[in-house]
Amino acid sequence: MRKEIVFNLNGSPVFATVEAQKRLIDVLRGPLGEKGTKEGCGEGECGACTVIVDGLAVNSCLYPALEIDGKNVTTIEGLLGAGNQLSVIQQAFVDHGGIQCGFCTPGMVMSVKALLDANPQPTEAEIRDALVGNLCRCTGYVQIIESVKAAAQKLREDK
Amino acid sequence: MNNLDFLIPQSLREVWDLYKRFPGVRFIAGGTDMMVKIKNSEEKPTALISLRSIPGLSGIEIGEQTRIGAMTTIGDLINHPQLGDMFPVLIQAVKRLGGPQIRNVATIGGNLCNCSPCADTALPLLVLEARAVLKRSEGSREVPLDEFFLGPGESCLLPGEMLTDIILNKPAPGVRATFKKKGRVRMDLSIVSTAVLLEMEGSTRKCKKARIAAGSVAPTPLRLKKVEELFENAEISEKTLIEAQKLAESSVSPITDIRSTAEYRRRIVGVYVKRAIQELLDF
Repeated sequence: MRKEIVFNLNGSPVFATVEAQKRLIDVLRGPLGEKGTKEGCGEGECGACTVIVDGLAVNSCLYPALEIDGKNVTTIEGLLGAGNQLSVIQQAFVDHGGIQCGFCTPGMVMSVKALLDANPQPTEAEIRDALVGNLCRCTGYVQIIESVKAAAQKLREDK
Repeated sequence: MNNLDFLIPQSLREVWDLYKRFPGVRFIAGGTDMMVKIKNSEEKPTALISLRSIPGLSGIEIGEQTRIGAMTTIGDLINHPQLGDMFPVLIQAVKRLGGPQIRNVATIGGNLCNCSPCADTALPLLVLEARAVLKRSEGSREVPLDEFFLGPGESCLLPGEMLTDIILNKPAPGVRATFKKKGRVRMDLSIVSTAVLLEMEGSTRKCKKARIAAGSVAPTPLRLKKVEELFENAEISEKTLIEAQKLAESSVSPITDIRSTAEYRRRIVGVYVKRAIQELLDF
């Protein structure tokens, strides 16, 4: 079974013809060619595939593609500003060593975006809670937490 | 897998109709368990009926009887303004279910129907004596949650039957409850989990009613009824606590698997039952 779906990707409507067994990540990385979203475990453990659907962070490796019809999806590509300028969160990860090999980073950044959109001034405990579903095998998380704190502060100052 | 049908009905009537037309069909709720099972070929449905778009299957109505729609997400349970005040043990437990990305899509009904011995929603609901509303095209019935689980991945649902609601009575005054979960890391399936609910006589140590449940120690999440009976209309003391700990150990039938050993699980379930009661009573 194949079906046509239409959804909003990073603010623009996109169309895709999707087979029933496909997941959101298959559509993003396949027909739509958006390779920023990574697949790590494919079982909802690692969070590398995190994207935002209608304001909520979800694992795109667990989301049936056909159910994305009519929804709003934000991926790491949607965070870039004009001229591919990094967003505040991405820049903070670069500046504070929150990024090393980089594989977990897109998912990590999307979880942080969902957190800071809902809670602009999180405590360290709230940051750790929000990132419990994102694994990083390089940094030991300390730099990631520092990156999030710095991003939160910058976003508040910019307001 | 290439011939899988994915059906997105908009009403229950449409569900019953599709169920008859597609043999080998399975219901899919949030999908966080089902999608992994399909990927690993543990489930090979020929068709999936998604329940996400059916109005009326999600939502929370608070009252003397509280109704939670089966398609309510774990995130919506946590964010509800009143649910946590009335049933703090439920929120305490579901906050330990997965990470935010899972909680935003996983549903209370899906967690129960997946029938895992470690289901985090099951234990608080068991001690709260929840009832499950089961519907099929011919009508509906209500079963105590206690009778819902039959084995790993196996419930009392008949073919074509669906869990639609969870019903909870308002807890009596003086009821207190807590949930404990042993995992290797914060976001983990439980090695052992327990929930304990006590209804005490005023501020005494006299217990009117005890409800105790344990997870990951048997083929299903289960009530430890013998331990409950020990405390029913009885004084809770150091002595009965140690008795309860031993009785909890002997009431379970854990297995050794990738997460832990049978011996460790048996030991921990006793310790956790004891500790939960101590916490609730400031022992």
